[in-house]
Amino acid sequence: MTVSRAFWKIALKNIGTIITYTAILVTFGTMNMSANNTSLQYEARKPAIVVFNEDENVGITKSFVGYLEKNTEIKPDYKDDDKLKDALFYEQVILVLEIPKGFHQDLTFGNEPEIKMRSSAGYQAELAKVVVKRYLTTATAYAKLHLSEEELAKRVDATLANETKVEIKSKVDSAKYGKATRYFSFANYTILACVITIICLIMISFNRTQIRKRNLVSSIEIGKMNRILLKNCCIYAVAVWLFYLALGFIVIGGEIMLSGYGLIYAINSLLFCACATTVAFLISQLVANQNAVNGLMNVVALGSSFLCGAFVPAEYLPDSVLAFAHVLPSFYYVDTNNRVMNLESFDFASLWPIILNMIILVGFTVAIVIVTNIISKKRQKIA
Amino acid sequence: MKNVIEVKHLTKSYKQNKAVDDLSLTVKEGEILGLLGPNGSGKTTTMNCILALLKFDDGKISIFGKEMAPDAYDIKAKIGVVFQEVAVFDELTVYGNIDYFCGLYVEDKATRAQYVDDALKLVGLEDNKNQYPKQLSGGLLRRLNIACGIAHKPKLIFLDEPTVAVDPQSRNNILEGIKKLRDDGATIIYTTHYMEEVEILCDRVIILDHGKIIAEGTNDELKALAKIEEKVTVEVADLSPKQLSGFEKIKNVDAVSYEDGVLKVVFGKGKNNLAEMIEYLKSNRINYSRIFAERPTLNDVFLELTGKELRD
Ligand SMILES: Nc1ncnc2c1ncn2[C@@H]1O[C@H](COP(=O)(O)OP(=O)(O)O)[C@@H](O)[C@H]1O
Ligand SMILES: [Mg+2]
Repeated sequence: MTVSRAFWKIALKNIGTIITYTAILVTFGTMNMSANNTSLQYEARKPAIVVFNEDENVGITKSFVGYLEKNTEIKPDYKDDDKLKDALFYEQVILVLEIPKGFHQDLTFGNEPEIKMRSSAGYQAELAKVVVKRYLTTATAYAKLHLSEEELAKRVDATLANETKVEIKSKVDSAKYGKATRYFSFANYTILACVITIICLIMISFNRTQIRKRNLVSSIEIGKMNRILLKNCCIYAVAVWLFYLALGFIVIGGEIMLSGYGLIYAINSLLFCACATTVAFLISQLVANQNAVNGLMNVVALGSSFLCGAFVPAEYLPDSVLAFAHVLPSFYYVDTNNRVMNLESFDFASLWPIILNMIILVGFTVAIVIVTNIISKKRQKIA
Repeated sequence: MKNVIEVKHLTKSYKQNKAVDDLSLTVKEGEILGLLGPNGSGKTTTMNCILALLKFDDGKISIFGKEMAPDAYDIKAKIGVVFQEVAVFDELTVYGNIDYFCGLYVEDKATRAQYVDDALKLVGLEDNKNQYPKQLSGGLLRRLNIACGIAHKPKLIFLDEPTVAVDPQSRNNILEGIKKLRDDGATIIYTTHYMEEVEILCDRVIILDHGKIIAEGTNDELKALAKIEEKVTVEVADLSPKQLSGFEKIKNVDAVSYEDGVLKVVFGKGKNNLAEMIEYLKSNRINYSRIFAERPTLNDVFLELTGKELRD
């Protein structure tokens, strides 16, 4: 079919666009960005701390030090105070704490002892403090039961050992799916870029008044021609989706992609490709100049990626931005990816927010199709 | 000969402006019909109405004996159109473009390959077939535009000012190509505001002004409409005012002008005008280096019918 042939020839002329954005995706979409979620780094590296123990290493104090050894990396050789200051500044050491004399007695009698802490500036220090606080809170809670010091130490150890295990498990999971989420969320940018650029360039070519007139006087039925163009646009969008899915297998791995999580990522990105296709159609109706396509595509793709947290996690964005992002399809796409990462089980209650997001995405697609139709009817009347 | 196109009382207005005004015409099989008229006279509008691209206020249009309509695809299959503005894909090569437009009509691959080659040859773009439109000069681009319109070997061809802003070489190539299409059996409607082209090319001419037909016929028939018989030009180095006024007394002379050693004398209807002129020059001992007579042009016809020049 001559129309399809021309369609793919034009698409092929712009293959450079696809290669460029795919390279960007592989480079940045799989990179562990520093702004990414903190649990990941906690898992990767325990906070480095220095402990000055003025107390005897017995009973509950011994249990506390043991807990710290398990959950932090204790640096033994910082005796000099100047050296310590430098280490804090350069974050070689995150936290310095002094266990005061009589710590074990105070704690056993239910008085929360005072621990002197100095910390570095970053968020890691807050995390380390949480680690310390958790022990102290647990211990003071048990101390209220008036247990012997030995019994107290045993109970606290047992409780914290359990809790820590649970927590580490969930962190491992989100680290595992973090990469997949990062990849698919970043794909928000690349999918929009590839789909909008190519479809707009092709549709604008075919929509040019001269070409339209020329096609109109030919023996091909114009409705049939539009259907062929639409069909090829859809094939192209699905091809983009399959391509990024296949690439996902390579960079993320088959274990995740073949699981239920992978299925959600796949469905979500397919729905988003469909939505991107309609956005491309809408733009091609509004813009007649091919030179404007690149600029406009960047506004849409980059803008939505920033606003909706495809590059930077949504927690880091101001509320006003997030409020605005709710009117963009990308928000729901990225939100679904984030939810998959933290999905604990596949029951209806856990899946419902994701399903809702997908319904909204489909809603956007349908709405854009309707708007595009109205505009194109108006345009044809004028022409 | 059969009528390929019949247009009856076609009227088309843009708001107040009557672009085509009660226009009736027929196109006969195998002829090249010229639609001649200045810019804005309604040539393109007439063509677009015939092609059912435009809705019109009044009139009837039939092609190949059937009423023309936007969905008359069987009629459209036998028509080739070359629009005034170049309509090609920048992303496709010369070959790719011709192949695309030919492909709108011809499905079969082998036939199409042959047709595309024929079209390339006709417009002389064989050496440029792998180039992109942006790489072509204005003249070559126009030739590509024509090739795209006629590659599927249509029986009826519309060409709307295909030689505007084209270098002389491309223009000759285009005109030769069109004649060849006619000789191969196509019927052609050719619109232009260049009267020279019409004189070289067209079997029959319709002159348009303000959406109305002001004259119609073969070149000779149209020229017969002119009141002047011929224009005689004489190169004379020197002429006295008395000698000059003497020319006006020659039989049939309508107007005399003398400028920069060139004398122009316009003769009205009558015979033996040139002979009388030479006789007069001889008897008055006027030395001249060159003398020639011209038939009236379509421009003269247009000037007489409308009071203005065809080209302005
Ligand atoms: N789309 C249009 N809208 C309004 N007026 C138009 C339009 N197209 C042509 N006209 C007017 O119709 C007249 C005939 O134009 P046209 O058919 O293009 O002339 P030609 O092809 O002989 O140069 C002109 O007066 C022109 O201004
Ligand atoms: Mg015109």
